[in-house]
Amino acid sequence: MIDKERTTKEILTEKSSARERTPLYNPAALEILRKEFAGWMQTAVREKDRKAWLKTPRTVLGSNIPREMLYTPLSHPDFDYREDLGNSGQEPFTRGIHANMYRGREFTMRQLTGFGSPEDTNERIKFMLDHGATGLNILFDIPTIQMYDSDDPLSQGQVGMSGVCVDSVDDMALLFKDIRLDEITASIVTHYPSNTAILFPMFLALAEERGIPWEKLRGSVQNDTSLEELIRSGAEFIAPRDCFRIQCDNIEFIRKNVPQWNFITLNGYNLREFGTSGITEMAVAVANGIATLAEMVRRGYDVDSVADRLAFFWSPASDFFEEVARLRAVRRLWYKIMKRRFQAKSPRSMWMRCHVQTSGVSLVQQEPLNNVIRAAYHALSAVLGGAQSLHVDSYDEAYSVPTEEAALLSLRTQQILQEETGIIDVVDPLGGSYYIETLTSDIEKRILDEVDEIERAGGYVSAIESGQLHRKISSYFYNQQKEIEKGDIKIVAYNKYKSEAAPPPINVFRYPEGVEERQREKLARLRQSRDNERVGVALTALGDACKKGINILPYSVACARVRCTEGELFKVFKESFGLWKPPAFW
Amino acid sequence: MAKKIKVLLAKLGLDVHNRGIITVAKELGDAGMEIVYIGNSLPREIVRTAIQEDVDVIGVSSLGGAHLTLGKPLIDFARQEGLTDSVVYVIGGVFPPDDTVRLKEIGFDAVFTPGATRDEIVHTIQELVENKTI
Repeated sequence: MIDKERTTKEILTEKSSARERTPLYNPAALEILRKEFAGWMQTAVREKDRKAWLKTPRTVLGSNIPREMLYTPLSHPDFDYREDLGNSGQEPFTRGIHANMYRGREFTMRQLTGFGSPEDTNERIKFMLDHGATGLNILFDIPTIQMYDSDDPLSQGQVGMSGVCVDSVDDMALLFKDIRLDEITASIVTHYPSNTAILFPMFLALAEERGIPWEKLRGSVQNDTSLEELIRSGAEFIAPRDCFRIQCDNIEFIRKNVPQWNFITLNGYNLREFGTSGITEMAVAVANGIATLAEMVRRGYDVDSVADRLAFFWSPASDFFEEVARLRAVRRLWYKIMKRRFQAKSPRSMWMRCHVQTSGVSLVQQEPLNNVIRAAYHALSAVLGGAQSLHVDSYDEAYSVPTEEAALLSLRTQQILQEETGIIDVVDPLGGSYYIETLTSDIEKRILDEVDEIERAGGYVSAIESGQLHRKISSYFYNQQKEIEKGDIKIVAYNKYKSEAAPPPINVFRYPEGVEERQREKLARLRQSRDNERVGVALTALGDACKKGINILPYSVACARVRCTEGELFKVFKESFGLWKPPAFW
Repeated sequence: MAKKIKVLLAKLGLDVHNRGIITVAKELGDAGMEIVYIGNSLPREIVRTAIQEDVDVIGVSSLGGAHLTLGKPLIDFARQEGLTDSVVYVIGGVFPPDDTVRLKEIGFDAVFTPGATRDEIVHTIQELVENKTI
């Protein structure tokens, strides 16, 4: 599935040496600087600081990359503006994918919404749109994410929690009531390939019923194997290879039939929030991207016909400059991979487009208002790094789904960044900083090294099957927990500056009552009123497609049309593919 | 302590978040306890396995909001099976502040929220087991 002879790292290393570098700094000037720097080090810098010249910031979900006390041109002496940066909108896109960046298009304020019944979430969506949100971001409840119907015994007590429940196309219709599907961009957070193959067809069937051509639909799904097979805790799993195939089936079908839709969001976010460094987050997502494109090429597609709709999703944690540098680094790395590994022709294929959500794991329950500040810094780093769209977590999410008031404050945080601070007027404002550029190059190299580790282990899917990635991640978060408990990683009001005062009362979101009962009733009525013969035929055809290895999406769309439920489709997957036992985390 | 403490750990229901419980499983294992981890399970299954495995402690994790709607049935089943006096019940996860109190009222012996340290969890469990055995 990857280049049989050479890994991505080998390809990039080979070809980059073919182009001549044009370093920015004059060697003679550098030589003078070097001498003066040595003198400064001896005379102006205290011995204590000299000895601890390299210091590693200890931060939540940090990458443990050592930093110098002061960065100078000597930190990155062969810095080459053309090769390493270029202007914005120009190869290698380090400074941003568009020449004018936020002057041309402001970042989309896409706040995640979802709880209770489809009717409940529909109201919250309208509230957010009324207050200036510019995109939708729909999150499903736990049974829906895990692909069980609301009346499944496994779903009891969990319907409408952490997201909105959707069992069939009828719920999709309620969720998008009074919302013009062709006038909004909807991020439908389906997480897994399997639930993408079930839920997105319901959205498509709804569009059909409303007479909206699929060509007019704009938005995205996640559709990421890592989420289903690597970091999910669940009752039942299909094997990673089957899951990866569904991921590619989704891409193939959506590419052909819903041309403006982003069919995969390579999701580093959930992986990192689960507990990995910012490097591993990006390496795994990039490795999946490489494996996916290789598979689409194998299926006969021109790489440019697929790559231009790929999107990424990142988590910015607390090491501020690392976060800015990371977005720049992965933008440059993705460009190189597309250009040199896949020989992409269209610039759009080489763009690392991304959505960023502030880090949820970084929020703490102690003095929850402090989370407003944390999220604001995360958001600032994402904007300085050149993200395309943003979600700001709410301070009360350390306890539950946000209240309306807290969700509004998150939206306001974005609006203040956009309207009051002036940071969107200049592209890549930190570009050229000795520190940022050195860190960007260091991070790019580290991501590529970890991609190489995955490819040498047989590639993205094999590294999941074998448990290699499971173990890597769990050892990271186990150590991190120890460092937090020891106080090496400091968290204000949590393990440092702890307050003795009683916590102030917080207004915590409560899930609406009776959702589960209403969903059960709805489902009972649906199972009565629909044409169950057609349901049976559609499900059998889906099962056949799974087994034959042909694209399953036309069949799951047919299932959605005749009102099959989500659980019914998942059952077909389980029966057709069989179950897989994921590797243990310890 | 003469006898190894045996702990059954489970995710309550379909909750997808398991980093916390994996960490706790490793910590308790390192502290010398025997761990039986059964992943995502419903209350009845948890109680049934606890009886089969003859455990001292049942520990469940919930970060998805179902701590009360599934936590209460768990204790109810355990009570039906006559298991509440001999076994220690602990729950960890993300809960609104009032619910921490509520979970104790329902019958959980200990409630751990984010910020609970390894030492706190290990010592609390050791003490609770000792007290129940006496």
